[in-house]
Amino acid sequence: MLTAIGSFLLDPWEQAIDRRALLELTLVGVTAAALGCWVLFYRLPFAAESLSHALLPGLAVAALAGFPLVLGGAAGLVVAALAIAAAGRAPRVDRDVAVAVAVTGMLGIGALLALAPETPPGLSELLFGDVLGVTDGELALTVAVAALVLVALALLHRPLLAVGFDRRAARALGVSATAVDAALLLLLAATLLIGVQALGNLLVVAVLVGPAAAARELTSRMAPMMALAAVLAAVGAVVGLAVSYHLETAAGASVALTYVAIYALARLAAWRR
Amino acid sequence: MSRTLIAAHGLAAGYAPDAPVLTGVDFEVRAGERVAVLGPNGGGKTTLLRTLSGDLRPLAGTLRVEGRIAVVPQTERSRLDFPVSALDVALMGSLSTLPWWRRPGRSVRRRAREALAAVGLSDHADRTFGDLSGGQRQRVLVARALVQDAPVLLLDEPYVGLDAPSAAQLDGLLARLASDGRALLIATHDVEQARGWERVLCLNRRQIAFGSPGEALTAQVLKATYGAELVEVAGGGLLVPPHHHHDHD
Amino acid sequence: MMRISLMLGPFDLPYVQRALVEIALLSAGASVLGTWVVLRGLSFYAHATATATFPGLVLAAGLGFSPLLGAAATAGALALGVAALGDRRDAGRDTATALVLVAALAAGVVLASDVFHSQGSIESLLFGSLLTIDLADQAAAAAVGALALILGAVLGARWLAVGFDPAAARALGVRSPLFDAALLALVAAMAVVTVQAVGALLAGALLVVPAATTRLLVDRVGRWQLATAALALAEGAVGLWLAVELNAPPGATIAVLSAAVFAAVAIARTVADARPGRLENAPAGTAAP
Repeated sequence: MLTAIGSFLLDPWEQAIDRRALLELTLVGVTAAALGCWVLFYRLPFAAESLSHALLPGLAVAALAGFPLVLGGAAGLVVAALAIAAAGRAPRVDRDVAVAVAVTGMLGIGALLALAPETPPGLSELLFGDVLGVTDGELALTVAVAALVLVALALLHRPLLAVGFDRRAARALGVSATAVDAALLLLLAATLLIGVQALGNLLVVAVLVGPAAAARELTSRMAPMMALAAVLAAVGAVVGLAVSYHLETAAGASVALTYVAIYALARLAAWRR
Repeated sequence: MSRTLIAAHGLAAGYAPDAPVLTGVDFEVRAGERVAVLGPNGGGKTTLLRTLSGDLRPLAGTLRVEGRIAVVPQTERSRLDFPVSALDVALMGSLSTLPWWRRPGRSVRRRAREALAAVGLSDHADRTFGDLSGGQRQRVLVARALVQDAPVLLLDEPYVGLDAPSAAQLDGLLARLASDGRALLIATHDVEQARGWERVLCLNRRQIAFGSPGEALTAQVLKATYGAELVEVAGGGLLVPPHHHHDHD
Repeated sequence: MMRISLMLGPFDLPYVQRALVEIALLSAGASVLGTWVVLRGLSFYAHATATATFPGLVLAAGLGFSPLLGAAATAGALALGVAALGDRRDAGRDTATALVLVAALAAGVVLASDVFHSQGSIESLLFGSLLTIDLADQAAAAAVGALALILGAVLGARWLAVGFDPAAARALGVRSPLFDAALLALVAAMAVVTVQAVGALLAGALLVVPAATTRLLVDRVGRWQLATAALALAEGAVGLWLAVELNAPPGATIAVLSAAVFAAVAIARTVADARPGRLENAPAGTAAP
């Protein structure tokens, strides 16, 4: 029995391609999970999901023009954020409606670009990620961004808490809510970029929100929550990739499903208590 | 002796079962009475009105209401961006009397127009609700209550943002409604106005007093109701300063 | 004359004609439901039910049963879950819904690429296959459209009253959970038939965007619904024509077109509102309060 489990957990990593995928996903997972705790605290899951969906055109342009996905993703993020912000200013319609319009339009543009006949088929990789095909360059970028985001989160921990709890009081304490918001959004953007590399723009929300939401069911203080979320993210990456290896299922989708399963288990455990 | 239309005994109200916002409410309202509901913000006036209207369930005690209830909420809470005319809003009052498959017909539409005329808005029947001024919107909501033809009306701070002529108009309207045999509960901040009505109910997380203005509005009661908001003026009088509400227009 | 007939060339093709009929049928339902989706804050719900059809569509294609049934099954499951979770839009509910949607997409991907080996179909399921619409799709669209028109006529006044003033709704006698459930079920059904045409990710292009656009121009529900029907039909037809001429995916073309029209109208509306001296936008101080 133990050897079966051992084999289940260790066999997948014999090949370099799988070890790199694991490294990529672990780095992305830990970063996204830590940031995800703040995304939940600041009530941004809907915004994060809309942003990630809306950045498809940027990815498609990058794939078409042949330059690195991350550049396209970054440009796509800027355009997506602008489109969503602009739509939100439309008179007479609710924010929700405006965001739905912006996301539908952006997904449409992305699909048009990616499905244009001259493009080699690659839409699935943009939508669902290509973690097994991660290149050295992409891995290096992930390491850099992960380090940056984690250090920033450590440095910004107290301001983030202060503004998240009570924006007005924070101002009185000398913390600028606008600056903190901006910093959080920038960190979210950076995390989405490396996340999209691994999981694609439709599934990245799983790693951003899943482990964090699971941790949130089990603990209520921020620092332990972030640590727990990171651990759950790493575990999810291992289990998800192992399952994908043994059952021969799509890697990104398997990891995403694992994260949702972890969330479901956490909710069950919390409900039982 | 006119009919009792509302009877509350030992009533507790709130939004969560173990956290009542208002306790110990005991009063009866008869047909033809205007009852001022006085109290500070957060003291439970709106909670009481919502419990009376059925939007919230009582947490304890008993509550009996005879017949339908019409609600005239604060205008800030209506959707100003809804694509409805004043007449459309007034028509909404008819929905409680129609079976679910029926749409308002010609006679109902006539009643709605009459209700708008009764509040002085016949010329504005086809204007978009959100384009009207705060006072006009208030009157449209009163018209909706009239169409509902309910014996009990609950009004949540209807005088806020009204200038003197409109307030006088509303006074006259409420007096007419009461003399028609309806019971009106009016949440208000204006203690002086309350002295002109039949009953006052003072709330500050619990019932402080209920009775005729002469009996109930003593300095002690006012202090217990409004606490720090009271201002003593020269000559020994007590005053509740007018509250600032955001601009209705 | 020759020019026009050349331009209308695409509409000679039978599969394009079927697509056009489908769009017309969907526009009828979308005209009614679009207004309620916008007024009752259901645009996220509409997007969620549409996205949730994806795994059901994959299953149906893989096992060989009707895609309408597959879509209805998974969308229905999500709709029931949403209804069970209750009315409040809070962060916990957003999180749960977002994760359920991701799971639906991921499950669909795994089913398509690893169980049924049909990854080629993923794109058409996500972005629509308007040109392979069949009679069953049209019949379903007609049925849901008819239901939407009937229920909208009967229950519309009540849906409106609850949206306008939820707190007074109980006193008005219109706060019935059945009325709300009917609306939610109808929106889910509309999502199911719409995704056959424009795909699981782009249902908003017909369900939300045209209604949002016409809202910027029209101020009464009845006229708004008529305008939405006309706009949805026009955008669908023009988008279809463009797609055939340019050999582009029709669902995505319609989505981009409708979003562009919204942007244009929104900009025009904002500019018009900002012009000084426009009487109806001055505070209504001309009339006595």
